[in-house]
Amino acid sequence: MGRADSLAKLAWAYGLHLTRRRISRPRAQLRDLLDTYAADGIVPLTPDERARHPKLIGCINCGLCAFAAGRMGRTRLPDVAASYMRLYARLGGASSDVEGDDPDLEAAAAACPVGVPLTEVAAIVRRLAAG
Amino acid sequence: MTAPSAHDVCVIGGGVTGAGIARDLALRGLSVLLLEKGDWGAGTSGASSWMIHGGPRYLEFDWDTTRRSCEDAGHIVTIARHMVYRAVFLIPVLPHDRNNIERMETAMEVYDRFQPLKKAHPHRRLTAAEALQVEPGLTPDLIGAVTMEEWGVDPHRLVYANVEDAVAHGARALNHTRVTDLIRDGGKVIGVRYRGADGATAEARARVVVNATGPWSPEIGAMAGAAVQLRPAKGIHIVYPHRISNFAISSESIDGRDLLMVSHAGFTLLGTTDDDFYGDLDSVDVLADEVDYLLQGFERVFPAIRSYRPVRTTAGVRPTLFKWRRYEDELSRRYEVVDHEAEGVDGFVTIAGGKLSMYRLMAEETSDAVCRKLGHQALCTTATKPLPGSESEMEPAAELARRCGIPALAAIKLQSRHGSRTQRVFDGTATRRVLCRCEPITEAELVYATRHEQVRGLTDAFRRVGVAAGPCVGASCVMRASEVIGRELGWSAAQRFDAAREFMHDSWLGRAPVLGHAGWAQEELAQGALRGLAY
Repeated sequence: MGRADSLAKLAWAYGLHLTRRRISRPRAQLRDLLDTYAADGIVPLTPDERARHPKLIGCINCGLCAFAAGRMGRTRLPDVAASYMRLYARLGGASSDVEGDDPDLEAAAAACPVGVPLTEVAAIVRRLAAG
Repeated sequence: MTAPSAHDVCVIGGGVTGAGIARDLALRGLSVLLLEKGDWGAGTSGASSWMIHGGPRYLEFDWDTTRRSCEDAGHIVTIARHMVYRAVFLIPVLPHDRNNIERMETAMEVYDRFQPLKKAHPHRRLTAAEALQVEPGLTPDLIGAVTMEEWGVDPHRLVYANVEDAVAHGARALNHTRVTDLIRDGGKVIGVRYRGADGATAEARARVVVNATGPWSPEIGAMAGAAVQLRPAKGIHIVYPHRISNFAISSESIDGRDLLMVSHAGFTLLGTTDDDFYGDLDSVDVLADEVDYLLQGFERVFPAIRSYRPVRTTAGVRPTLFKWRRYEDELSRRYEVVDHEAEGVDGFVTIAGGKLSMYRLMAEETSDAVCRKLGHQALCTTATKPLPGSESEMEPAAELARRCGIPALAAIKLQSRHGSRTQRVFDGTATRRVLCRCEPITEAELVYATRHEQVRGLTDAFRRVGVAAGPCVGASCVMRASEVIGRELGWSAAQRFDAAREFMHDSWLGRAPVLGHAGWAQEELAQGALRGLAY
């Protein structure tokens, strides 16, 4: 009975939906979506970032980058790059970690055993942290 | 054996339901003993999809379940606000999908009626081009997409917050404590015998014993001479140690089931399977073909999924109510509170079935049944009383970070676990060292968890604060974590070594089914770093 009742109500809703679609003009809803969730940090990656994403998050946390950049124990970029990329929806609240910080990312990237492009990662972290 | 303790109620099972019942009853003024054979939330709760959702799937079966689930999700979101976060689903529609875009949007329009109950926004409909702007990783073959909002939560923290509040209101809660037998007087259950974490056995008398052990409830029921019939269903997830997308994405598996990829804080869960399970509940293995089933289904909508490196899997067993002649996916997620007095077993109540999203309601109804048996008149307050950490507003993470001398990112993570009570982590310890860079986790938090949150080993620390949950799967932090926990618990050097080795061995079992090429590279590093802990 519950199943039959549920399916009947869904069928009725489907009919209403199709009628509404026929008589009204659909409007674009992308902007609404992005505006609704921007405050939660739920923002899209760009197509370029998406294409590079598996590489950008390849860090295995060996710590060699911090060693190469002379920043062992600093726990900011580059040696917690993995953390920043893991939590990229929350970086707006962590902007104080990256403001005015300028580590030697080229030396860090050169030391990375799995080839994480740390300069790119830092640029994305700063973009997302800036909101 | 020590003299038996005496309580109004003994709750067996420290998953989210048992912890919720203990909290509810303690808030009603009853004396409660809560026993868990492993760690808090280590069973079905921890192996869930980490979702507080309303269940649009149930619209095909029973709108009342959707309504009740959304209502209770709304309560949970209110009382646990510091640990919940929005999960926005993209539901791409492809040619030949079971539901076309109009049917899918109809379902979301109906679901929108329930969304305000859980403080969620209505759906949006996107063209194919718009959907690709939102998530460029989607297949270009899609026709369009609709969105749907749910809530994410760390079930381990949710369980522990309930335990913590129960204890704050007088309950006694023991993890790593296994019930070995029920004490009976004729047909009546009058208490439990249990073996504690130290191996010592003890007895506790209780006027009512509650069986909240999920898939283990037939086993506990049998101790009481009561029949509890379930149809246990195994579900696995693949865990990626990063946020793959800011949007959760749904897909259809080869047999038409719904699969979900959901980002939670800094990691992503891809799941789940749903198969009848007849094996050992204490040893649920993940099979390679279950992993392939998920990847095959998901790469259809997100082709790059195989480029990402998973780090482990989770496996759990749902305590689904028994039903004959039904496909697993069609089984209801309803629950039942059973007072076994009718079958001649007095003093014994079982809660069976249900799901994480309705845990509070399940706990309320079970507690109501217990109070009726005890003639205790007190109203449930768990729908409105905040869990620890959600009582007041949190300070900005950057401010906390500056004051405590830690990275803002670490402050954000701390607040997601402790809410407005975060400062307590730094009271009584001077260290500000970041112990795990993946999360990141401070040493102070691990010290706090060991002293005040019943962490008794590395796997407990994994659940309570996320030690070794990141991309390095413990290579960078497991020995330091063992050192910190060992120092607090008075372990010898050999015990610290053994704890680290045992942890790496156990985590390897969940990792082996998903190691690909990049996974092996990381594994080699871990093996090199931890070569003394050969596993």
